[in-house]
Amino acid sequence: MESLLQVKNVEKVFGKGANTFKALEDISFTIDHGEFVGIMGPSGAGKSTLLHVLATIDTPSKGDIYIENDNIAKMKGDQLADFRRDHLGFIFQDYNLLDSLTVRENIVLPLAIAKLPPKEIDVKVNSMAKAFGIETILDKYPYQISGGQKQRTASCRALVSNPKLIFADEPTGALDSKSATDLLKALSSLNEDQDATIMMVTHDAFAASFCRRILFISDGRLSREMIRATHSRKEFYQMILDELAQLGGDGHDTV
Amino acid sequence: MTLFNLALKNIRRNVKSYGLYIGSTIFSIIIFFTFATLKHSGDISGLAETSKQISGIMSASAFVLIIFVAIFILYSNSFFMRKRKKEVALYALMGVRKQKTAFLLFFENMVIGIVSLIVGVVLGFFLSQLLLSLLLKLMGLNIEIGLAFSPNAVVETIIVFLIIFLFTSLQGYRVIYRFKLIDLFHASKKGEELPKARIISVILGLATLVTAYWLALQDLTSEVWKILGISMPIVIIALTVLGTYLIFNSVLVYVLHMLKKRKFWAWKGLNLMTASQLLYRIRGNAKTLTIIATLSATTITAGGAVFGLYYDTEKNVEQTTPFSFMWEGQEEDIDDSIVKESIRVDTKSIRINSEQMEREYTVIDHSAFEKLAEALEWDIDSLNITEDEVAMIEPFYNEQWTEDVKEISFNNVDHEVVQIYEESIFNLSTVPGTVIVVHDEAYIDLNAEESTYQAVNVENYKEHLDLSQELEAKSSTVDFSSAVQDYQDSLEGTGIMLFVGSFLGLVFLVATGSIIFFKMMTEAEDDKDKYSILYKIGVSKKEIKRTIRYQVGLIFIAPLILGLLHGTVALIAFSSLFQMDLLVPIIIWMSAYVLIYISYYFITIRGFHKTILYKIQEGN
Repeated sequence: MESLLQVKNVEKVFGKGANTFKALEDISFTIDHGEFVGIMGPSGAGKSTLLHVLATIDTPSKGDIYIENDNIAKMKGDQLADFRRDHLGFIFQDYNLLDSLTVRENIVLPLAIAKLPPKEIDVKVNSMAKAFGIETILDKYPYQISGGQKQRTASCRALVSNPKLIFADEPTGALDSKSATDLLKALSSLNEDQDATIMMVTHDAFAASFCRRILFISDGRLSREMIRATHSRKEFYQMILDELAQLGGDGHDTV
Repeated sequence: MTLFNLALKNIRRNVKSYGLYIGSTIFSIIIFFTFATLKHSGDISGLAETSKQISGIMSASAFVLIIFVAIFILYSNSFFMRKRKKEVALYALMGVRKQKTAFLLFFENMVIGIVSLIVGVVLGFFLSQLLLSLLLKLMGLNIEIGLAFSPNAVVETIIVFLIIFLFTSLQGYRVIYRFKLIDLFHASKKGEELPKARIISVILGLATLVTAYWLALQDLTSEVWKILGISMPIVIIALTVLGTYLIFNSVLVYVLHMLKKRKFWAWKGLNLMTASQLLYRIRGNAKTLTIIATLSATTITAGGAVFGLYYDTEKNVEQTTPFSFMWEGQEEDIDDSIVKESIRVDTKSIRINSEQMEREYTVIDHSAFEKLAEALEWDIDSLNITEDEVAMIEPFYNEQWTEDVKEISFNNVDHEVVQIYEESIFNLSTVPGTVIVVHDEAYIDLNAEESTYQAVNVENYKEHLDLSQELEAKSSTVDFSSAVQDYQDSLEGTGIMLFVGSFLGLVFLVATGSIIFFKMMTEAEDDKDKYSILYKIGVSKKEIKRTIRYQVGLIFIAPLILGLLHGTVALIAFSSLFQMDLLVPIIIWMSAYVLIYISYYFITIRGFHKTILYKIQEGN
């Protein structure tokens, strides 16, 4: 089976003329269907730039990015927006919920944009809300619920349209450890049970330990790859910590 | 570095973000100064004989203008201050004393004010020349006007605006002293519950407006007028304003709620988002929208009425002065090539005592009538009268007020009135009053003093003012009247009214447009993040633009529709009161209004898009 995501020699340069800065350099990797991949690296290594480029929010300066057969590096404007709508889901650190809509309406939004019939929308929203345990707060407004609930709502919104690929940008960054664990468990069970493909950028070794595979990035290049394989989550966590310590003296910056 | 330097540098570096504020301030000054110059212009007050009346109109307008300009500047200032709150917070965080920040802002505001005053006065000076020549053109006068620089106007402008700037600067002080650092950290993050409308206020709103309209359309003689008397206009205005407010506050909110509940509509594309945003926006802006609707209604009504009067000038003149020239006496030499008709009419004048009143009639015979009617191109069947019948020409005929005269007796015979014409057959200032047409024989038999009149029609009567003045100067033309002179006179009167009316109309329009513009830009600033989220979850720019179009569109169109509706009702009342047919001028006026208003919509949309899409690009 061909890969879901194929990144080939991607480069991203900021600035113009003599004053340029290479944020990404010669990055190539693939992600297969049903993978749960983490991206780790110190601040300024290019994690967020990589996520933005893959998520079509930004365009690479060079290279190709294939999602199945579509080269998203060559798409433009509204074509990209449509592609995002139909194939990608996003979870952000700061939730990005719309305050003027209820939890239910927030989750409805991507389906409404995709012009699904209301009945179908209802069914999908209810089942997804159940998976994240937020059925009871569907009619509340974002300002009435907690941070953890907000992030679960945001995840529901990202997953409800059944996207090919889900991008999570530091999803647990603003959550306490209990809420973070709940969210990560929900994500990894979706990954296991429904074959959802997830790519998560994170600082946090604990969050990363829920992934099946981790790509390390530093100074804009891929530096190492770790695969969980048959290790337990706890073992994997320890392996990540060791790796981070090895990556250099500034380990405290990465954890 | 002194505080003065800091303030100056601050302005110089922030010209872009200050641009909107400085621009609107200069704009206000230009408008006011132009108006003040016109008010003080000797040419204007010397132009019309009714200068007292005109200067009265001008002073009243200046007052309205001051209030308007003040509101407008306060509005843009508060918009501007909102943008700068973060800067103020930063100063506070760094430990700058409030007093110092306040003084900095005060100083800065005064500098902006003084610079705008200088620019505004200079630009206003040139604009006033332009408008002055426009005014003279409207008044149909060809007079060279020198560049009249009025020191009075400058002084007046400076005083008015210094007071306004002082006030806005103090407002700045208030903002700083009431500002709490904690606001910076959770400013505007507090959620608000979705506004809801109670059905009772929905019904009340509709009922109030309907009542107001019904009252406005009542005849002067109706029962309601008798009961309410002189307070009637106030009641109508109060009800209209209240009704407008309730429409925005409840009716629209209710409708949007219903829409939002219908999943088939709401759960399609961004409709959900559009409806929610509008709910907050309309409820939060109900007062502003009411003001805008009321202002639009005022502008439309006043402008429509004035424009209607102006538009009617020609018709009025042709009604009261159907012949180009008319006088009592003998024929004069007039260039044959321009004369269309030259008619000599003999008339007799009779006095008749009916029951209580003595009436005076000018009598002409049937053949004279035929000639005159033909010259005036009256569209009538040929008149047949016998010796004991007459036709009556009553230019001021009114079913309600004119007393019905069925018979007129002279020559010891009762003559039956068989026909009434409601137009004037003579120039009213030469031959006033009611004219009766009698049978040729009866005219000869009539024993009364006879006078001879000359009625002349020329091609393009409006171009023969010189000829008119030449004829009038002759001693042989008694009771001279001319259409071109009448036309000129009424133009001078209504021209000034039209100018003042359209000038104020323009100012109001620009101000209402700008208020909405500022409001929407503030909200665009607040909504940036929302659109950035939408873009990230895959809403195309096209769709984002569409929801913006709808949202801004409703905010623009709702007060416009209400304003037009109010204005229409008021103008119907107005035209029935003055018995004028204002349909054409009002349609022209309203279209002009709508056109300018719509261009504001597009400007606002552009600004909104820029703000949002810039954020989306930045959000990378």
